[in-house]
Amino acid sequence: MSRLVSLFTLSGNTPREEHVTVLTRIRGFAVLLATALAVSACGGSEPPAAGGGQPGAKEFSVALTEPDHLTPGNTSSSYSITVLQALFDLPVVIDAKGQPQMRAAESVTSEDQKVWTIKIKPGQKFHNGEPVTAESFADAWNAAAYGPNAWTNNYYFENIEGYDKLNPEAPEGSEEAPKPTVDKLSGLKVVDPNTLQVTLTGPFSQFPITLAYTGFAPMPKAAFADLAAYDIKPIGNGPFALDGTWVRNRQIKVKKFEGYAGPRPAKSGSINFKIYESRDTAYVDLRAGKVDLIQTIPPASAPEAKKLLGDRFVATPSGTMDYLGFPVFDKRFASADLRRAISMAIDRQAIVDAVFNGAFKPMSSLVAPLVPGYREGACGEACVYDVAKAKALFDKAGGFSGTMNLYFSNADPSYEQWMTAVANQLKDNLGIADIQFRKVPAADYLSTLREHKQDGPYRNNWVMDYPSPQNYLQPMWGEGNRMGWESKEFNDLIAQANSAAGMEASIPLYQQAEDVALREMPMAPLWNWQDQGGYSDKITGVQIDAYSPNLDLITVK
Amino acid sequence: MLEAQIAETGADRMKPGSLWYDAWLELRGRVIFWLSAVILVVAVVMAAFPGLFTGLGPYERCNLRLFRKGPDGVAVFGYDTQGCEYWSQIVHGTRASVMIGIAVTVFALLISIVLGLLAGYYGGWLDAVISRLTDVFFGIPFVLGATVILIAFPRHGIWAMTLALVVLGWTTMTRLMRAQVIAVRDMDFVAAARMLGANDRRIMFKHILPNAIAPVFVVAMLNVGNVIAGEATLDYLGVGLQYPDVSWGLQLNVAQSYFAENPHLLVFPSLFLTATVLSFLLLGDVVRDALDPKLR
Amino acid sequence: MRYTIQRLLQAVPVFFATTFLIYAMVFALPGDPIVALAGDKPLSPELLHTLRERYHLNDPLLVQYGRYMLNAVQGDLGQTFTGQPVSELLQGRWAVTAQLAVTAWIFELVVGIGLGVIAGLRRGGIADTAVLAGTTFVIAVPVFVVGYTAQILLGLNLALFPTAGVDEGWPVSYLLPGMVLGSFGLAYVARLTRTSLIENVRADYVRTARAKGLRRRRVIGRHALRNSLIPVVTFLGVDFGNLMAGAIVTEGIFNLPGIGQQVFQSIQLQEGPVVVGIVTMLVMIFIVVNLLVDLLYGVLDPRIRRA
Repeated sequence: MSRLVSLFTLSGNTPREEHVTVLTRIRGFAVLLATALAVSACGGSEPPAAGGGQPGAKEFSVALTEPDHLTPGNTSSSYSITVLQALFDLPVVIDAKGQPQMRAAESVTSEDQKVWTIKIKPGQKFHNGEPVTAESFADAWNAAAYGPNAWTNNYYFENIEGYDKLNPEAPEGSEEAPKPTVDKLSGLKVVDPNTLQVTLTGPFSQFPITLAYTGFAPMPKAAFADLAAYDIKPIGNGPFALDGTWVRNRQIKVKKFEGYAGPRPAKSGSINFKIYESRDTAYVDLRAGKVDLIQTIPPASAPEAKKLLGDRFVATPSGTMDYLGFPVFDKRFASADLRRAISMAIDRQAIVDAVFNGAFKPMSSLVAPLVPGYREGACGEACVYDVAKAKALFDKAGGFSGTMNLYFSNADPSYEQWMTAVANQLKDNLGIADIQFRKVPAADYLSTLREHKQDGPYRNNWVMDYPSPQNYLQPMWGEGNRMGWESKEFNDLIAQANSAAGMEASIPLYQQAEDVALREMPMAPLWNWQDQGGYSDKITGVQIDAYSPNLDLITVK
Repeated sequence: MLEAQIAETGADRMKPGSLWYDAWLELRGRVIFWLSAVILVVAVVMAAFPGLFTGLGPYERCNLRLFRKGPDGVAVFGYDTQGCEYWSQIVHGTRASVMIGIAVTVFALLISIVLGLLAGYYGGWLDAVISRLTDVFFGIPFVLGATVILIAFPRHGIWAMTLALVVLGWTTMTRLMRAQVIAVRDMDFVAAARMLGANDRRIMFKHILPNAIAPVFVVAMLNVGNVIAGEATLDYLGVGLQYPDVSWGLQLNVAQSYFAENPHLLVFPSLFLTATVLSFLLLGDVVRDALDPKLR
Repeated sequence: MRYTIQRLLQAVPVFFATTFLIYAMVFALPGDPIVALAGDKPLSPELLHTLRERYHLNDPLLVQYGRYMLNAVQGDLGQTFTGQPVSELLQGRWAVTAQLAVTAWIFELVVGIGLGVIAGLRRGGIADTAVLAGTTFVIAVPVFVVGYTAQILLGLNLALFPTAGVDEGWPVSYLLPGMVLGSFGLAYVARLTRTSLIENVRADYVRTARAKGLRRRRVIGRHALRNSLIPVVTFLGVDFGNLMAGAIVTEGIFNLPGIGQQVFQSIQLQEGPVVVGIVTMLVMIFIVVNLLVDLLYGVLDPRIRRA
């Protein structure tokens, strides 16, 4: 069970949001995965091959923010992933309904959930003509798991046998880790060109859906000759191939890959990913017809965009959530009643309307609506705005004295705006006179929280990795959480749910755990994000979902 | 004394016939002077005693459900994004903008007068040291330097902002001052004063300063606007002031996202800002005209 | 010549002092850039160590600075945390910012001095009042408000200019951002020129020249204007460096991939090498421009040469 946690915690609750691109908020983009429903893990039904749409020789452009890397094993940035999803076919893919489907893999099967057999579809080619084989996957995964490479997605391979040999720990009293003696995972075995056998360190029934993450993409032999060159000109096996190289801070051009034999051939000739520093500018360019698709319309411009674009305004539900966390370790916040009172003093709907133009959904649950097991109103009256009750509860809990510091990072100006609203409401509704902001540099924010240096309520953001209540509850409320909240009852329920027979059986247990977390309220849910995109009248067939922008489906008029 | 006649300043400043008295005579006849003076007095009073203009404190009695509502019978300036009455927020915003603008300029002006006089008058190694010091700070671009400083010290209020802006804002005027002093120091009346036995301090402050200050003074007046806009820019970049401080810069920062649909958010703080800066500029102009003997 | 060499030698300590000041300030920023890069991921100590070693973050400040400068002299400005060589990163960006700054600067120079002369010669007239009011307005409105308004009105609604990006190259793509960026300095230049010209037109030597029978045009053009330009030249020299740095806001609004955007991001990410790389170049430009200003001084005002 702990393996399951470590496998997923890293995919990035907030990293994609809080790091590299400090200037723009990244769209809440479910990087990873999918439901844990289809554990059966045999070959899923194949989506019908894209029919005879005329492959237009035409190009369209997509607004992007500068990615960090384009080597699949070395990036978890949602911008990189947008590009990589066009360049690579992953073993598995999550469809719009959240169901896992086979893509580059023919099947992913296991008898004991520990030793997995991945059958690769024959006949696939990389953009340079190399065939896609089991070895292509093994090579890529070994490189990512090899510690000295220091690739971002290293941790995803932690539960494959032999991981520790590639990532030896520093001996006691030394900071320097010894160089690993091997550079291949012992748990990866190429049985034949189309069969890869993966041995995990323990049974893990959800392994197949993890293979939908771009970190599990294959890499051709040619990549390893010069990895630095590969990073700006990745060679994939997807419907689009890179055209030229990544021109930093300008553009990434991809063109239809004629040798593509997979299930989703490109319907357009080429895509130009135009790199923008700010989403406001990207939106202005969309209005001016200079860019065809943007995935993040600034919330402030959403009403105007809706009017202007009509049907071409696309709102996609997202798994991303904002919370207000409390430092339970600070004795001024030790009372659950106080925390509930603060939650009740916040007018979520008004904030969503004022700051996010009504685009986000006020939440009364700890998990996002698209997650199985979501219950509307799970929180009950503790998440309902009621000044009188809030004040009564606040007084009953003994009130609050001293300065209340509110923590958030400087990554996006909207944080300050909604925090201002929260501060005003706490001041007016509860009579907390002295409220100060602690706007922490983005580079320092998460370590501030991790080290429990926050002495007041703080912004907590979560980007969903895969649609399961476990992905929300365990990393945020489980052991070692940022609030310093400890509940054996909660932890036991999570443990039970994790070892339940299947997803179906686990949900009621997760819900019980959620009830405990809501009753104690160490962290109050605020709202669920929605991604707002838009496109020009030059393109059709836009089908953005929570898991992929599906750029291969887009046709240029 | 002859020297006193060369540059008629000194203790008898406001006596009839003195430079300053003449300046006053000229000033009091000019409409622009009175107009800008009145606006600035109002701005300063507003900054010092906001309670005279509004019954509400900063962020007091905000109703978020009224966000960005335009002007109505109750709130003549409408409401801001937080649903606070905009008029009272703007009144409270006066303090930060006016105070930072004036304080930074005054400190920077004092620094540049002293350093500019020393460097320009004495020349030599003192000039070299001061000029290189100026060069070092001058080489740090304003927004860039301020961003680094303000991010390094995230818990900054109005005074820390002032300090950061002074550190980066004294160099332009110092260089200009130095150039002016160099241009003036070789003039005949300075040589005359020196021959008549005036000491360095007297020559610098009584003879050179009044004749060198005019362009620096103009730049200083403009600098108030510069500083206020610079402060607003830092707010815009998200590294400037923050809650619970209120400033026009912060208000404009919020407004820029919404001004297409809610123009009042942009218009009102801009009006206050423009009126204040305009007054500084015009006042600077008329005072300079009146003071500068060369222009008579 | 000796004067020029002397000025060059003076520039050396300034160069090191400024770059070290910036390096130290960036170093003083709170937070750990490597941890920040990893976001919320549980970075293993081994990985952290590897990365810190790779970027020499474990060494003392002076050693880091020394190594940086040593490499910089050899043309190696280090790497960003995403592994791109800084020199390569800056190469493309400098061109963008330089084109932007030059556009703005030309705008300031031509329009600013032009307006200043017009206003100064007809002091109190309609043109003078208009210039004063206009420049005041420009100074009073923050540059980002000017920028957004210009982008929406002139770029989008009237479609006179491209709204964003550098697709159309110089000068088309740079006209609007250049005007926005230069508007502030333009106001200064115009006002300085005006003030200075008014002073000089009334100066004794002009009166003398007029009394000697020289034509007004010649007196103004050859004597008064030349002397009036001294403070203006100072300002314009100074302002070129400011323009390059002031590009942070303008580049953001118009999505120009220049150094302004890069440096703001790098400060927040604490990418010392990038910030210092940019500042080093800025300081160098600044020194060269100042040298030119000093030399120009000599041409405009012969008294300086003797000083």
